[in-house]
Amino acid sequence: MKQYIRNFSAKAEEALRNLPDEEIAKALNILQAAYERDGRIYVFGNGGSMAIATHWVADFNKTVFDSNLDKHHRRFQAIRLPSTESEITAWANDIGFDMIFAGPLQNYLQDSDAIIAISSSGNSSNVIKAVELAKARHVPVIGVSGFDAGNKLNQLADAKIYVPAETGNYFLVEGIHGVILHMMIKYFKDYFNHLADHSA
Amino acid sequence: MLVIVVRAPLRISFVGGGTDLADFYRRSPGRVISTTIDKYVYVVINRTPLIDKVSARYSKSETAAHPSELEHTRIKAALLDLGIHKNIEIGSFATLPAKTGLGSSSSFSVALMKGLHAYQGKKINQQEAAEAASRLEIELVREPIGKQDQYAASFGGFNIIQFNPDESVEVRPVLLDYKKRLGLENHLLLFFTGITRAASSILTEQKSNIDKKFETLKEMAASVHEFSTRLLSADYKGLGGMLHQGWLKKKSLASNVSNSLIDDFYAAGMDHGAWGGKVLGAGGGGCVLFLAPPEKKNEIREAVRRVAQEKNLADFRELPVKFVQCGTEVLYNGDYHNRSFV
Repeated sequence: MKQYIRNFSAKAEEALRNLPDEEIAKALNILQAAYERDGRIYVFGNGGSMAIATHWVADFNKTVFDSNLDKHHRRFQAIRLPSTESEITAWANDIGFDMIFAGPLQNYLQDSDAIIAISSSGNSSNVIKAVELAKARHVPVIGVSGFDAGNKLNQLADAKIYVPAETGNYFLVEGIHGVILHMMIKYFKDYFNHLADHSA
Repeated sequence: MLVIVVRAPLRISFVGGGTDLADFYRRSPGRVISTTIDKYVYVVINRTPLIDKVSARYSKSETAAHPSELEHTRIKAALLDLGIHKNIEIGSFATLPAKTGLGSSSSFSVALMKGLHAYQGKKINQQEAAEAASRLEIELVREPIGKQDQYAASFGGFNIIQFNPDESVEVRPVLLDYKKRLGLENHLLLFFTGITRAASSILTEQKSNIDKKFETLKEMAASVHEFSTRLLSADYKGLGGMLHQGWLKKKSLASNVSNSLIDDFYAAGMDHGAWGGKVLGAGGGGCVLFLAPPEKKNEIREAVRRVAQEKNLADFRELPVKFVQCGTEVLYNGDYHNRSFV
């Protein structure tokens, strides 16, 4: 049992030692720029990645500012896509599962926005459809993927956050995605706390 | 609502200015390092389906039956080039006056080109917007300027911008975390001298001197990498020293880059503890930038203010600056009838 646990954590450690720091830095710059122009950040993925997207949105919109909520009049505007369960089933049932992200995104997307697409394989066709829509509008794309670096999301994204792992090891990839996305929350929390502490 | 609102940031350039002129970079790659700041130019484009004219609203207000009759050189050239001949009104707004050395005229051009393409239902990316603005200013309007400002405004953030002999331009971000960004802000002072000048007169002389100053310009382009390294290691004193060396080189490029008034401003800052600084833009006036220890900033402020008072510069003021990451963006596109969903 202990050996099994150690084997898994050794892989997680290796993934964490090799985080794509430059690409994560680019992603932070994309979020910073969206904030400065009052843009919205749309976040989406399937299954576990949708759960990560939901968790991230909750933390990002509120936790980033919660030490000094009254000092920051402009906040982030991150939205999980689709924002209601009804939309998922409506698009899937009436149009097709491929459209559950691209359909709602088409309704909202403005030039000043940014998107975060999460897919362990990087090849989910519904995720790619939404990413292609954003790319066609020149909206910056943060791609959070895994398994094979040649995956479609990693090719299309402006910030290519890719976690190498053997195909099918969702457990490792989704775990590391969670760490990276939480780090991005902490970065902005530290940044806005620093601003609040140093403002008169 | 058929209105499009585009916003473009102004910029501070640190080292390498002048190597973005074609007479230089066609012989040896040019390179600059700059950042965008929280001062902006806004271009508003209004589709007027019921008015068969073109209008331009800036410090003047113009209405004409055809763009060829407009006085505003860039709006006129852009409309003629894109084949937009009627049913449009273009306005510009800005945080600061023109000709302060913060690149505002090129920021305007990038915003204009991005907005006019949106008016035609086309989305252009950062590279395309920078190219379109450079072409507008350098080829169509024949301004004797370089193209660093168009790329700085279009991409946004801290970048190394390289100008290759084949006319291609590479933009590489300098990835600074918030602590280093805010640290640099904290060591920086920016003053508007109260003197405005057009870059073109200085750049015309500078262009004719490129042969003579070729080696100096090569050194300036090469120093960009060292500046970036010092930036990443938060060596503000070293950065100040590099700005000072760069300024001395820039002054040697043309007789009118500096003048006795600018020299007095600069000396006041340096005598009161600044590590280094430079005049922003082509020179001759505009803004003076200093890097200094935070505890010396008040003393420098006082010294520089005294110079402005002695010279009766009524428009002199300090400009508080924050760096921004955003480039030129369509903030609002209400021109629905021509907006593609793709």
